[in-house]
Amino acid sequence: MTNITSGNSTSGASATGFSLTGIATRLPRYTPLFLLAIAWEVTTRGGLVPIAALPALDTVAVAWWDLAVGGDLWRNGVASMTRAASGLGLAVICGSLIGILMAWYKPVRIAANPIVQFFYPMPKSALIPVMVLWLGFGDASKIVLIFVGCLLPITLSAFNGARGTDEVLIWSARSMGASRARVLWEVVLPSALPELMSGIRTALALSFVLLVSSELVVAREGFGYMIGWLGDGGAYDAMFAVVLTVALLGFAADRLYLMLMRRVLAWRE
Amino acid sequence: MALAALARRAGAIGSLVVLVVAWEAAARSGVVTPFLLPPLSVVLARVGEDAMSGELAINLGLTLYRALTGFAIAAVAGVALGILMTRRPLVRWFFDPIVSVGFPMPKIAFLPVFMLWLGLYDFSKISMAVFNAIFPVITATMAAAEGVDRQLVWSARSLGASERQLLREIILPAALPQILTGLQVALPISMIVMIVTEMLMGGQGLGGAMIAASRFADSPGVFAGIIEIALAGLCLVKAMTMLRRKLLRWHQEAQEPTTV
Amino acid sequence: MSDPAHIVIERVSHEYRPARGRPVLALDNVSLSVQDREFLALLGPSGCGKSTLLYLVGGFLPVEQGRILVDERPIAGPGPDRGIVFQHFALFPWKTVIQNVLYGLEKQDLAREERLRRARQFIELVGLAGFEDSYPSQLSGGMKQRAAIARTLAIDPRVLLMDEPFGALDAQTRSLMQAELLGIWQRSRKTVIFVTHDVHEAVFLAERIAVMSARPGRIKEIVETHFDKDDPDLTRTREFVETVDHVWNLVRAEAIQAQRSGAA
Repeated sequence: MTNITSGNSTSGASATGFSLTGIATRLPRYTPLFLLAIAWEVTTRGGLVPIAALPALDTVAVAWWDLAVGGDLWRNGVASMTRAASGLGLAVICGSLIGILMAWYKPVRIAANPIVQFFYPMPKSALIPVMVLWLGFGDASKIVLIFVGCLLPITLSAFNGARGTDEVLIWSARSMGASRARVLWEVVLPSALPELMSGIRTALALSFVLLVSSELVVAREGFGYMIGWLGDGGAYDAMFAVVLTVALLGFAADRLYLMLMRRVLAWRE
Repeated sequence: MALAALARRAGAIGSLVVLVVAWEAAARSGVVTPFLLPPLSVVLARVGEDAMSGELAINLGLTLYRALTGFAIAAVAGVALGILMTRRPLVRWFFDPIVSVGFPMPKIAFLPVFMLWLGLYDFSKISMAVFNAIFPVITATMAAAEGVDRQLVWSARSLGASERQLLREIILPAALPQILTGLQVALPISMIVMIVTEMLMGGQGLGGAMIAASRFADSPGVFAGIIEIALAGLCLVKAMTMLRRKLLRWHQEAQEPTTV
Repeated sequence: MSDPAHIVIERVSHEYRPARGRPVLALDNVSLSVQDREFLALLGPSGCGKSTLLYLVGGFLPVEQGRILVDERPIAGPGPDRGIVFQHFALFPWKTVIQNVLYGLEKQDLAREERLRRARQFIELVGLAGFEDSYPSQLSGGMKQRAAIARTLAIDPRVLLMDEPFGALDAQTRSLMQAELLGIWQRSRKTVIFVTHDVHEAVFLAERIAVMSARPGRIKEIVETHFDKDDPDLTRTREFVETVDHVWNLVRAEAIQAQRSGAA
């Protein structure tokens, strides 16, 4: 029972903020990852696994550098990130709005609830072929897929957060002369924020999953497309380079979001 | 009294009914081509056909078998590893950075790597599901095991519980609600991943059937696939909720956890 | 005494209808009037409906049977004329102390400087100077309650509704806060309705104590006290001790009954 405070670390909620010294003090924690990287290099160099199945780490690094200098990585990356950001951004706006209105107005809840209940458990990747059918191979099909996929988790978290608003806080605001509409903005929304923001974190992860999935299945540009195309061509070192880039980007996006979340929710214990 | 209850029931699915009617009406009116949106009746007829021919049973069975096997392995291994990480500092030292980096990563990007290493058959599909579903289970288990009330542990110790008894009789039950929440996150993930995996690797299964239908511009087939997958997802989530309620009868839960 | 009473509660009953189960009669035909600038305590065992009565006066719950008049007008919802302090503070956790106090002031027609001046003044009054920029999560229970009281006093309500405001505090903080509240009331002379289940607190603070019966809540007896609140030895006077004794005997029977019906 000695690790009670560091228990949050795996979900990424360590207490220190963003600073160089902060990173330096946390580096030793990641020693096992460096050990794994070394193990990767040693096994491939030592011929323990075939190079075709696992290219050596340094050739992956070289391949990454070539892709970066050649502009391929940048062009496809911008395409992918724009899609994810547009879909997720739209979902955040619409989902928060719908969720809070559901908690506050009964007719909205009655109308929206069955649809949310039915579609929420649906594995959203099933929509990929329909999006292609409706919107083609380009940006629109990915953006709408991400939007639809992220909408319900965000809606539900906004709804649960808003529904959990302490009644006494609402009463306090009302007794100090706030109108009902003001209470929605000044009390219900901030109360819902912790839950809403963690719902958005889930959606952020989901947006990456849906982005890469849809690009792997069918696309003409983007990270997923690159991975598929490089793999089909047998350029496994370059494929690994892109796979690792996407994985690290997803990780970095989550960490940045956590920092934002911690700042916005600084008022909590 | 009975009428009122009936009206409430109808109200509870009112907007779904509206959606269904709107779909059928839009498709029949010719506002959209049947290729873009086949009428719901046609799609349902297709689902019925698939069911009669036995194709639905094969595809659904395969997808569920793969997704649930992956989920089950992830659940057992994830809980074990999560508990071990809270009890053994060395295990924690090694896995903590891996879990903390792996948890937020879009692991689906590794799909081509899995295809390269493990081939296109069930083994690689199930491995992919395990790889994706295990992280939320580990994280939830660790947080749960560490969040167990210290005074509960102390009480058990002072009553003479051994280390093993402590784990089985105190920590696991006390951590169960949060572990189940982690499993409730992992189950839909394994379904999402299985569908994509099947779409990409082809062959039988709901995802493979859908991608084949879309290649042949068979849009009723695509929509039938969506309905089949949606219903399968709904049943799985409901079953999980029921399991939770059954296991946590002792636990005073105001509401179901709704985090994804 | 020809003045009409400030707050008039006439034959008010109130029923809770939980989503599942039978409705519960929380208040049964309660009548009570509170004079202007009076300090009235509502005393009773837990579950006797005293908080419900307070919420009805506050306008948070609808008056369904009977009527409640404030200044001869029936109440229509909550308003800044009736400030309220809750047991668990109800501070906005995402606002600092001064932002909390400013919240009510922002709803009033005041210049910015005036709002800030008033907020600071009341924060100082409750002894929180220096903690203006702290979040509620960084304060102790007593400090939170001071902040909540400052927030309510700042909008200068004519009526102060207090719902077991010191119930969540430790014994020392509680008795300090009681003395302070008494001081504030003597200086500002607001009408106060103070809900509590603490006999000593009620006798110490109030001019009149309405003792309520166990569920369904009725007014069992009204006890008037006429103590010299400035006497530092007040709580040791014979008169005070006898009043506490008398009120305690009234409440005890009800508390026992409440426990029995709760256990059943």
